[in-house]
Amino acid sequence: MNTTSPQISMANIFRFLAQSMRYPDAEWFNEDFWSVLINLLEELQWQEDKAELTRVKAGSKDFLEDVQIEHTRLFINAIPHVVAAPYASVHYKGDGTLYGIIAEQTKKFYREKGFALAKESDLPDHIVYELEFLAILANEDPEGQKKFLKSLFTPWFEIFKSKVLEEAHHPYYRVVMNLIDFFTREEL
Amino acid sequence: MSFKVTRRKFLQTASIAAATLPLAKVVSAETGFVRDPFTPPGSFEGTQTVTGGVCEMCFWRCQLVGKVRDKKLVKLEGNPKSIDNGKSICARGNAGIKLLYDPDRLKFPLKNVGERGKPVWKQISWQEALDECGSKLKAVQEKYGSQGIAMFPHGASAKYPMDFFEKVVGTHNVSEASFFQCRGIRDSAYMSTFGVAPGESVDMPNAKAILLIGCHFGENVHVSHVKAYLKGLENGAKLIVVDPRYSASAAKSDIWVQIKPGTDTAFLLAIMNYLVQKDKYDKEFVEAHCVGFEEFKKGISHASLDWAAKICDVPAKQIQEVAELLAANAPNVSIHPGRHVSWHGNDFQRIRAHACLTALLGAIGVKGGFVKAKGVKVKGISWPKVAEGGEEHNLKLMADKYHFAPPGTPTELIRDACITGKPYPIKGCVVWGQNPMQTIPNQQRMVDSLKQMDFVMCVDVMPTDITMYADILLPEACYLERYDYIKTGTQWNFADKHQQYIAPRMPLVDAMFERKDEVFITNEIAKRMGYGDKIPVNTLEEKINKELAGVNLSIAQLKKEDGIHIQDGKDPYGVSEDFEVQLYNEDLEDNDYPAVPTYIPVEEVPKGFTRLVYGRSPVHTFNRSQNNVWLHNAMPVNPVWLNDEIAKKMGLQEGDEVSLVNSEGVKSSSKTVVKVTPGIRKDTVYMAHGYGSRNPMLTVGVNAGVDDQELITKMTIDPETGCNGMRNNFVKLVKDGKTLDIPA
Ligand code: SF4
Repeated sequence: MNTTSPQISMANIFRFLAQSMRYPDAEWFNEDFWSVLINLLEELQWQEDKAELTRVKAGSKDFLEDVQIEHTRLFINAIPHVVAAPYASVHYKGDGTLYGIIAEQTKKFYREKGFALAKESDLPDHIVYELEFLAILANEDPEGQKKFLKSLFTPWFEIFKSKVLEEAHHPYYRVVMNLIDFFTREEL
Repeated sequence: MSFKVTRRKFLQTASIAAATLPLAKVVSAETGFVRDPFTPPGSFEGTQTVTGGVCEMCFWRCQLVGKVRDKKLVKLEGNPKSIDNGKSICARGNAGIKLLYDPDRLKFPLKNVGERGKPVWKQISWQEALDECGSKLKAVQEKYGSQGIAMFPHGASAKYPMDFFEKVVGTHNVSEASFFQCRGIRDSAYMSTFGVAPGESVDMPNAKAILLIGCHFGENVHVSHVKAYLKGLENGAKLIVVDPRYSASAAKSDIWVQIKPGTDTAFLLAIMNYLVQKDKYDKEFVEAHCVGFEEFKKGISHASLDWAAKICDVPAKQIQEVAELLAANAPNVSIHPGRHVSWHGNDFQRIRAHACLTALLGAIGVKGGFVKAKGVKVKGISWPKVAEGGEEHNLKLMADKYHFAPPGTPTELIRDACITGKPYPIKGCVVWGQNPMQTIPNQQRMVDSLKQMDFVMCVDVMPTDITMYADILLPEACYLERYDYIKTGTQWNFADKHQQYIAPRMPLVDAMFERKDEVFITNEIAKRMGYGDKIPVNTLEEKINKELAGVNLSIAQLKKEDGIHIQDGKDPYGVSEDFEVQLYNEDLEDNDYPAVPTYIPVEEVPKGFTRLVYGRSPVHTFNRSQNNVWLHNAMPVNPVWLNDEIAKKMGLQEGDEVSLVNSEGVKSSSKTVVKVTPGIRKDTVYMAHGYGSRNPMLTVGVNAGVDDQELITKMTIDPETGCNGMRNNFVKLVKDGKTLDIPA
């Protein structure tokens, strides 16, 4: 029945994961997105997560705003402080500032594979870009994908993920972290 | 979580078909990538030098170049073409990179969906943020009048919005507190004496003697100014430093006057009286340029050396020695006007004394004296003055006090109106690049002022203490990411060839995230408040280009000239015939202020306490740089300097951790360490300002050291200017929860 190759499906999955880490707004963080997420959890048989998300959503007055506040607090600016800026170089191989050495290495990797960021001033090591790039590699260069995961993505994502899992108030980002982890870990 | 399905299994299941999981349909069409054929290393890995930077880690504005590698700024250096700072920049200038790439910096517009002071932030679009700012400010204006809006601006980027609120919206309630509390008194006092604001215009490289009252160069670092000072010393100038503390400058001095804080005016009066009595003043200059010499002479005649010695707690002989040294080297003496001068609430008179002493020595327009550089003027382009209403709601005039206040409205009058609603309510607040929580004493009054507002917006580069009180918080591009201020000046040493320079700030890298500049933000708010037709320029770049056109230059031309245009300059020496010095000032008399410099005693230190004074750290620009990783590591806390004999009596040792409590019972929120030293008076403790932020958004700076500002709760207000004296607070040290009395 499956007409797509696993690589193509992985590309879609990475795109989906990248999307789920963008700032939530009504344009995409809508019922369609939600039903895909819930179905994905269903397919994975992550019943507890599915149940928790469904329950929290049903109990919320403004679910979108809740997730926006959580996104801002975790990833942008917050009190007591931004929990986990979604950039590799804040967590890995540097002194905690943006555009550290790993960001430059990541940019170089994109270049070597024949890609550049559309907006040049953007930081290359944002998690959304890295997941989007994994989607590109999934289609075109599985070996490159492995290398990217091993040398550039997983080392910082591990640290980032634990910060988010520890500090998240909202189940949405916990679930997203686990999904990213699940789909980017070495072969299970 | 129990993983029921492995990834491999999941990917192989049939149900991954698009019908069940239409993943592709719920993601955005575009990714952040474009195809870019790989160019081998070498062509893009080289480091480029980008010119046109103008530093703003402090406000000296040294000219920079940026080393940019693949769009990343990797290093800042002085622009080798600069005739000001040259190739040199200071530690803070270097650390600008860490501000640029600080992950705690503001990135997107934020809306506070929690309370002021306890914010819950939500990222919103610029559209929504600007709509909210425009409509809320308009609502305040309609309900309470334009005067119902107060503004606290600071820095080059705040000038354009400040002009909008003053000239177009029409509020007088603009308080550039940091200028007001810093150089404001100095400028007013010199205006009332020389008719010009002094800047730091002393010709130190060519001086035979330099007098610094409280200035602590070396700790206070402004590159070309420090160069000038050091050149003077290198050329053999004698240095007199008046300071209760053995500062970096005191360490280089020929005479260190360890004065009792607050008494400097008495010291200066005694010197002037001595010069007059002993006929050691410049009679020719006084006759030609000074007004009211006889009144002045009479007004200071009580100031004998012994009188001052007693007040200042220094030997009469030492005061005499200083007077003799100045007289011997006159007129080539630099009496430094000071910079941050609001100390004790008697400061206008002290600064007038600086100016009068300069005149008595004839040290104006001569080598080594007070000499204004002849720079080039570039006319600014800004909002037209269209607001009506005149001075009707001017709090300063309504209060009929502080007649010699620097421009703007004294912060205290704004806060009074906010808190009491009288003479009218102030319900809208715009904070732009300023942190009035730390720049103005008595933080609770600031909190009370903000809490009663209908709307508060802040624009800043970093989160600061004040931004926690914003309803809408907007992220501004920093000085490395935008066009801005046009810096002009001359070569730093007047002994060198006379030259002028023009250096507009140009971006070294593109602005990241959704940061915007002041012209965009102000114009968009103006449109939403109904003033779209008054907009003078559409972009910041257009503004700079129009301003440069006034001197036949353009951004394109400046780029060709490596960021700095240099042209022939003019000899700055000489004094015009009509230059007048008001030794005795009638306007002051008319407004019931002392017309001749007068010493006004300050409160004595109560038993068991010590006086808290503060100054600069060479690696920080107050709270602006608190969160900078490099600078923080260079000096993570601000030790409290304690006299060694006092420390011994108290059983305190170098490095002991302490907090502080002031005479009004206010405790510091954080701790610092003790520095035990003979280099401070027994009745005084000192710490560097700009530490111990309580804003948890500053992940590096939060609670690092003690915030002296928190302890400055007692207000002394300078009667002429309305500025707050900030060195009249008394403290005790607290160790292990025990409050320790300070022995006499
Ligand atoms: S003195 Fe230092 S911080 Fe100030 S403008 Fe110059 S380089 Fe920048």
